[in-house]
Amino acid sequence: MRPAGERLAEGGLAASALASSLVTVAILLFLLVMGLPLLRGGLILQLLGGGWQPDQGQYGIAPMLAGTLLIAPLGLLIALPLCLGVSALVTVLGQNAVSTFIRGFVRFMTGIPTVVYGFVGVFLLVPLVRELFGHGSGMCVLSAALLLAVLISPTMILFFTEAFAGVPESYRRAVDALGGTRVQALVYVILPQAWRGVLSGTIMGMGRAFGDTMIALMIAGNAARVPDSLLDPARTLTSHIALIKAADYESLEFKSIFACGLVLYLITAVLAVAVRGLARDKGAVR
Amino acid sequence: MSTEVKISVENLTFAYGDHVVLDQVSARFAAQRITAITGPSGQGKSTFLTAINRLSDEIPGARVTGRVQINFADGPLDVYAGRYYLPDLRRRVGLVFQKPNPLPISIARNVMLPLALAGRHSRARKLERCEAALRDAFLWDEVKDRLDRSALELSGGQQQRLCIARALVLRPEVLMLDEPTSSLDSEAAGQVEDLLVALRDRCTIIVVSHYLEQVSRIADHGYRIKDRKVVPVG
Amino acid sequence: MSSRLAQRVLMACCWAAALLLIGAVAAVLGFLLLKGAGALTPELIFGEAEPLAALSGRAQVFDGILPAIVGTTALVLLAVGIALPVGIAAGVYFAVYAPAGLRRVLSLLTDVLASIPSIVVGLFGLTLVILMHKHLSARVYPSLLISGVALACLVLPYIIRTTEVAIEGVDQETRLTALALGASRLQNIFKVLLPRSLSGILSGCILAIGRCAEDTAVIMLTGVVASVGLPGSLLGRYEAVPFFIYYTSSQYADQHELMQGYGAAIVLLAICSWLFLLAWIIKGRLAGLAFRRV
Repeated sequence: MRPAGERLAEGGLAASALASSLVTVAILLFLLVMGLPLLRGGLILQLLGGGWQPDQGQYGIAPMLAGTLLIAPLGLLIALPLCLGVSALVTVLGQNAVSTFIRGFVRFMTGIPTVVYGFVGVFLLVPLVRELFGHGSGMCVLSAALLLAVLISPTMILFFTEAFAGVPESYRRAVDALGGTRVQALVYVILPQAWRGVLSGTIMGMGRAFGDTMIALMIAGNAARVPDSLLDPARTLTSHIALIKAADYESLEFKSIFACGLVLYLITAVLAVAVRGLARDKGAVR
Repeated sequence: MSTEVKISVENLTFAYGDHVVLDQVSARFAAQRITAITGPSGQGKSTFLTAINRLSDEIPGARVTGRVQINFADGPLDVYAGRYYLPDLRRRVGLVFQKPNPLPISIARNVMLPLALAGRHSRARKLERCEAALRDAFLWDEVKDRLDRSALELSGGQQQRLCIARALVLRPEVLMLDEPTSSLDSEAAGQVEDLLVALRDRCTIIVVSHYLEQVSRIADHGYRIKDRKVVPVG
Repeated sequence: MSSRLAQRVLMACCWAAALLLIGAVAAVLGFLLLKGAGALTPELIFGEAEPLAALSGRAQVFDGILPAIVGTTALVLLAVGIALPVGIAAGVYFAVYAPAGLRRVLSLLTDVLASIPSIVVGLFGLTLVILMHKHLSARVYPSLLISGVALACLVLPYIIRTTEVAIEGVDQETRLTALALGASRLQNIFKVLLPRSLSGILSGCILAIGRCAEDTAVIMLTGVVASVGLPGSLLGRYEAVPFFIYYTSSQYADQHELMQGYGAAIVLLAICSWLFLLAWIIKGRLAGLAFRRV
C-alpha cells in the first residue's frame, strides 16, 4: 500500500518538469502573438529587408540583422584560434603548474560579468581603437567583436579541453609507443577524435555570440545602418531590442523588436538542436 | 519435484536496449531450498535476479517480458501482471548485492533501514527486529556492543553479513544473493555459507555463484546460465 | 607535423594565444582595479547617509549604490527562490521518472531554453506585462516581481541540468541499494539520491545566483530603473548593480559619477568571483559529507 502523499509528490515532480519545458514553448508563442500584426499585412519582406528609418515609416530590421551577422561571426573568428591554441597548450603541457594555472584562470573568467567587460571596454578599448585607427569614434564592429571574443572564450576553452581529455588514454599511449611527441599526438590523434566536441563548443560559442546584448549595446555604436567597414558603428538584433523597449507599445516601431526576438529565438534554437544532434550521434545518452 | 515450487519463471526475456541478455528462459525454484545459479561471468546471472524482484524497472534501458510467479504464503503473485506497489514486492523478496554496500550510517541504522522505509516507527520494535536479524546473520555477538558505530568500520566479511541482516529484517520469504562470498576471504565465506544453510528453513534462497565447490557444498538445486539460456544442473 | 620546426612553431602559436587571451583579461581587470580602487569607500555604498542609519532604513541613500545592492539581492532571492524548487523537481523527474521518449522531448526543450538569449527572455517578461496589463489589470507594470519571474526562467535550465547530471553521477549500485530494500522511488530520492547529489546541485544553485546577480538584459526590459531608492514592494520598480554600471557608462555627468561606476563594477566583479569560488569549493569538498539522518 502506497503512502498517501506519494502520488501527490510524484505528481508535483512531473508538473515541474512539464512547466519548465512549457516555458520554452510559451516564449515562442508569446513572441508570435505580439509579432502577429507584423506577419499579417505582408509586412515581412519590408521588415526583414528594409532599412530602419522610423521617421519615414520604415521599420526594417535588416541593418540590425547585418550587425548581428557581422559582429558575432567576427567575434567567433577571433576567438576560435585563440581557444584552440589555449586548449592545445593545456593538453600538451599535461598536468603541471602552468596548465593548472591556465585552467583555473579560464574558469575564473567564466565568472566575470558581461557588463563589467562592457564597462572596461568603453573606457579602455574604445579610446584605444580610436587612437589606433584614427577614424571614427572607436565604438564600432571591431571593438565589439574583440570584446565578444574574450567573453565567449572561456566557455569554448572548457568545452575543447574536455573534448580533448575525452579521447581515450590508450590512443595517446599508442602514439607515445611509436615514438611520437605530445604535439604529434595532439595533431594526429586527439584533434581528429575530438572533432565533435570542438564543433559543439564552437556552436555553443556562436550561440553566445549571437545572444549577447550588453557588449553590442555598450561598444558597437548603435547606429541603425548597415556598416560599411569594421570601423563603422552598428546595431545588433539584441541591442535593438534593448534600445526600443520604451517606445509606444502599439507602434510598429515597438513591434519590430518582436521580429528581432523571433529571429534570435530561431537562430539559437537551431544551434541548440545542432549541438544535441552532435551529442546524440556520438552515442551519448542525451 | 517433491517439494512445492516457490518461484516459477516462464519465457523470461531480458534485454538492455537491443542487447538480449536472457532469451525465453524458464526455471522453477523450490520453496525452502537453496538453488544456485552458475555460469560464466557477464552472462546475465545478476540480471536474472533483478528480474524477479522487478528491480529491473529501475535500470534505465532494461526491458523484461515473460512471466514470473511467486507463491507467497498469502497467495500467488504474478510479478509482471498488473500495477501494484513495487516496494511491497521487494520487502518480501530480498536482494543482497555482490559487493557489500552498507550506507555510511551506524550499524543499527543500517539494519533498521528497511523497517523505517516500510513506515515502522516504534523504536523498541525496530531494535528487537534488528537484534533478531543480526543473530540470523551470525553477526550479533560481534557487533552488539557497538551498534551505534559506523557500519563502514566493519571488515569486509562483517559488512556482507550486515547486508544480509539488513535484507532479513523484514523477514522476506525469498532471499536472493548475488555472489555473496566473491569479495570475502575463505573464513568469512565459510561463515556466510553456514548462515545460508541455517536460513533455509525460513526462506527460499537463490544464490548466484561462480564457485562450483561452494555450490556443491550448500545448494540443493542448480541452474546454469549460458548463451542466454538457463539449464537445470544436477 | 613531422618536422621539429613545425611542432615548435605550433607550440609557439599556442603560447602566443594563451598569452594574448590572459593578457587581455588581465588588462581588463588591472585597468578596472587601478582606476577604481580609489572609489572603494563607504561613500560608494552609502553616499552621504550614515551607514547604520541607511541599513536600518531610517536614512535615505541618494548618492550611493546601496539601493542597487539591495535591489540585486532582492532580485536574486526572488528568482532563485522560484527557480530552485521547480528546477530541482524537474531535474529529479528527468533523472528518475521520465520514460525515454518523453525525456528526449522535454530535454530538447530545456536545451533550447538554455540557448535563448537573455534579452529575448526579458522580452518574454515584457510581453507578460503587456498582455496582463491589457487583459488582467491596468495596474500591472514592469516590476521586481516580473523581473524575478523572468530571471527564474533564465536560470531554470541551469538548475535542471546540474540536478540531472548530479543524480546520474550516483553510481548504479548505490541507486539500487535502498530500492532493493523496499524503498519507493520517492524515498530513494530523498534518502539516497539527493544527499549524494547535494554538492552538484548546490554548486549549480550558486552559479544560478551569480547569473542572476550579473544579468542586465532581462532586468532592463522588466522593471529596473536608474534611481528609485530601496525597492518598496514586489510590484514596484527597483535598482540593480549591473544596470547602474551600464547606465553610468553612458550617462555619467562628472568624474564623481564615473568613479562610482568603477566602484560598482569592482563590487559586482567581487561578488561574482566569490560566488564562483564558493561553487567550486563546494563541488570539490562536499562530496561525501551528505548522509545525516536515515
